[in-house]
Amino acid sequence: MSALLQLDHVTIRFGGLTAVSEVSLDVRPGDLAGLIGPNGAGKTTVFNLMTGVYQPTSGAITFDGRPTAGRRPFELTRSGMARTFQNIRLFRSLSVEDNVRAAMQVHRTQGPFQSWWRGAGFRRAEAEVADQAAELLSIFQLEGHRHELATSLSYGDQRRLEIVRALATRPRLLLLDEPAAGMNPTEKVELARLIRAIRDRFQIAILLVEHDMQLVMDLCERIHVLDHGVKIASGTPEEIRRNPEVIQAYLGEEHSLPA
Amino acid sequence: MKDAGARRWWVAAMAVAALLGWLEPRLDIYLADVLARVGINVVLAVSLNLINGHAGQFSLGHAGFMGVGAYAAAAITVLAGPHVLPTSCPDWLHQGWFLLALAGGGAAAALAGLLVGAPSLRLKGDYLAIVTLGFGQIIGVIVRNMEPLGGALGLSGIPPRTNLFWVLAAAATTVYGVTTLVNSTHGRGFIATHDDEVAAEAMGLDTTRYKIVAFVTGAFFAGVAGGLWGHFKLTISPKEFDFNRSIEIVVMVIVGGMGRTAGVMAAATVLTLLPEGLRLVAGLSPSLKWVGESRPLLYALMLIALMLLRPQGLFAWSRARPRPA
Amino acid sequence: MAELVQQLINGVSVGAMYALIAIGYTLVYGVLRFINFAHSDVFMAGAYAGLHVGQRMGGGSWAGGLVAMLAAMAACAGLGIVIERLAYKPLRERSKLTVLITAIGVSMLLQNLGQLVFGATPVAFPETLPATTFTAGGVVVSSKDMVVVGFTVALLGALEFVVLRTKVGTAMRAVAHNHQAAALMGIPTNRIISVTFGLGSALAAAAGFLWAYKFPRVDPYLGVMPGLTAFVAAVLGGIGNITGAALGGLLLGVIETLVKGSRWSTWTEAVTFVLLILVLLFRPAGLLGRAQAEKV
Repeated sequence: MSALLQLDHVTIRFGGLTAVSEVSLDVRPGDLAGLIGPNGAGKTTVFNLMTGVYQPTSGAITFDGRPTAGRRPFELTRSGMARTFQNIRLFRSLSVEDNVRAAMQVHRTQGPFQSWWRGAGFRRAEAEVADQAAELLSIFQLEGHRHELATSLSYGDQRRLEIVRALATRPRLLLLDEPAAGMNPTEKVELARLIRAIRDRFQIAILLVEHDMQLVMDLCERIHVLDHGVKIASGTPEEIRRNPEVIQAYLGEEHSLPA
Repeated sequence: MKDAGARRWWVAAMAVAALLGWLEPRLDIYLADVLARVGINVVLAVSLNLINGHAGQFSLGHAGFMGVGAYAAAAITVLAGPHVLPTSCPDWLHQGWFLLALAGGGAAAALAGLLVGAPSLRLKGDYLAIVTLGFGQIIGVIVRNMEPLGGALGLSGIPPRTNLFWVLAAAATTVYGVTTLVNSTHGRGFIATHDDEVAAEAMGLDTTRYKIVAFVTGAFFAGVAGGLWGHFKLTISPKEFDFNRSIEIVVMVIVGGMGRTAGVMAAATVLTLLPEGLRLVAGLSPSLKWVGESRPLLYALMLIALMLLRPQGLFAWSRARPRPA
Repeated sequence: MAELVQQLINGVSVGAMYALIAIGYTLVYGVLRFINFAHSDVFMAGAYAGLHVGQRMGGGSWAGGLVAMLAAMAACAGLGIVIERLAYKPLRERSKLTVLITAIGVSMLLQNLGQLVFGATPVAFPETLPATTFTAGGVVVSSKDMVVVGFTVALLGALEFVVLRTKVGTAMRAVAHNHQAAALMGIPTNRIISVTFGLGSALAAAAGFLWAYKFPRVDPYLGVMPGLTAFVAAVLGGIGNITGAALGGLLLGVIETLVKGSRWSTWTEAVTFVLLILVLLFRPAGLLGRAQAEKV
């Protein structure tokens, strides 16, 4: 199976600092993959490279067989890559439902003139969007809050809404940036269940960037480990657990590997 | 506003406009004059609110777009009109020509909006404000250097075509245009862009395009307002469309509450009536004459007090936005 | 040729004054991140203060002129600090737009107060400093231009000393860099912001005084055009950057004077803004400013 997202010897430098060096990895359709590493390993930078926020200094990134270079983030999203944010970034003056609806605009060709004319086609499309949004929200048990402002939700619900909003763009690859940040152990278990359910229900690939080892080990089928901007290992949780370099990297940070 | 409801609202508003237009000859001249100013300011404020309030792009050059519209529309009636329409032709043809002039004014302003917006909308916040401010100044300089448009002295002899019907019809259409645009899946892109540009891009929204659509639409209606203004004042000069005028419109948006069309309409109305009211108070007795003289001072104090005490706007009654269909 | 040199001298002297005003915009932007629209009216107030003290001093003497200028600077430093305390400080945590609108309100207030206190009609500015002209190689040089440039250079030197060599200056730079971190390090940020407003306003007052000395006519709207141009200069140079502001001011002064002296004099103001727009399109953070990418 060919890769959906491929990083080929990607390097990025900020001034004199090489933040990420020669990283190669791939995500295949339907993968449930994790990108881990100690603090400062360059996880977020890799994430930003994947989503087009940064352009690599050298190396190439391809999504669905096409290079991502020169494409703006919204274009990447339109081609089937969606993301969430580490620090929640919902549209704060839109309702829960409208957060989802705004993201659904991606695959529509409605323009301002349709909005003004409000013809039958426009109304049909709007109704369709509303239905789809309602359906998505009900899958994630958020339908009861749909008219509330997104920022009035509880922290956990806001995290969930971010995922729903990303799914509304109908991605084939969902990138989750530290989805477990700020969650307690029970919430993390719930999150792992949710992520697995999303992969099974929507048949998409998911890559999460996380520093919570436990979560990634439990959830992911393939794991890539970064340390100091370099990829030090890739493999199944079992392989990663036994990898001496990984143990070394994490021991240096007073982490013990979960058995 | 529901989809069908929006159009019904517009039809009703047009009916009211027609009624007032029909009543106008029977109205007090002063009252009709004030009503026309209110309507033109509503068009200006509501259209700027689309740019500043909904789409979150801070423009300080709205009067510049108004000026472009005013001069373009006046050029159509004053310079081109006599070549196309003989003075003897029926009134409805002149009215039709005026509608064309208003649309032309709007189109010219929209084009100017595209020219200014396309390169500069990637600039953030303050920088965009400065570029739009600069645009307003440049328009003034260009007009001053255009002899056929009357230069610095201004263009006079514009036919008195603006009446209450046209003003209110334009106001109703502006409100309709802005509200329907914002309350659609497409239009929610404005608010998303305003709230968080990075997140909007990540959700597949072409933020640049949204900004341009908002900017160009706003400029179009400002141009229409300019066309109305010219055929209302009958003489226009570049000074009327300067920075101070832009600020006046910005203040209406701020006082009304950014992104709240109803509040902004109320603010445009109240702020247009305010000087008239003060003038009235000053005329009551000689001991109150100072009220009339210190109008600008009171205005400035009011603005500062408002920002200190109620920065969300005077007419921002509730936090909730009008719920779309 | 002689005419060109003369224009250049004139342009440098106008540019020097723009630089003084522009630095005030940039200083305030540096610490508070907003455009202080009222700054141009502090400039106007400086001209009036210079006028009134100057008249009392008798005028025409170096000592008298210097006292008048220093008095104007002190008065306006006070004015700037009072404005910041009353109008901007309560808005410290509010949106930038709120502060911007307040600044516009303060600007209108100062203009109208100026009209009320000083009258709306322009008044002549007295010869507060001695002035002569001399000719060198066909070029007529007014001593006014030399005074303007001389004072500006001295003031810029003093500013550089304050910002780079004193404790207050270090604190100013710290606050500009990161408010919260500065506060956590024990820097009294409110006092530093006051000092910044005071410094910027004093420079604006000096510019106002020099402006009225060079173009001896003062009215309550005196600040509007120089203020706008200086503001453009600050943005052109890279707002927040003192050297950039000085460079931008000088550049605009020279270009403006050259255009004014040419066949295209009626296009002067447009040239300023077209230049600004062009610079921003290619260097969105200004000539010496550094673009900052948003953190994700």
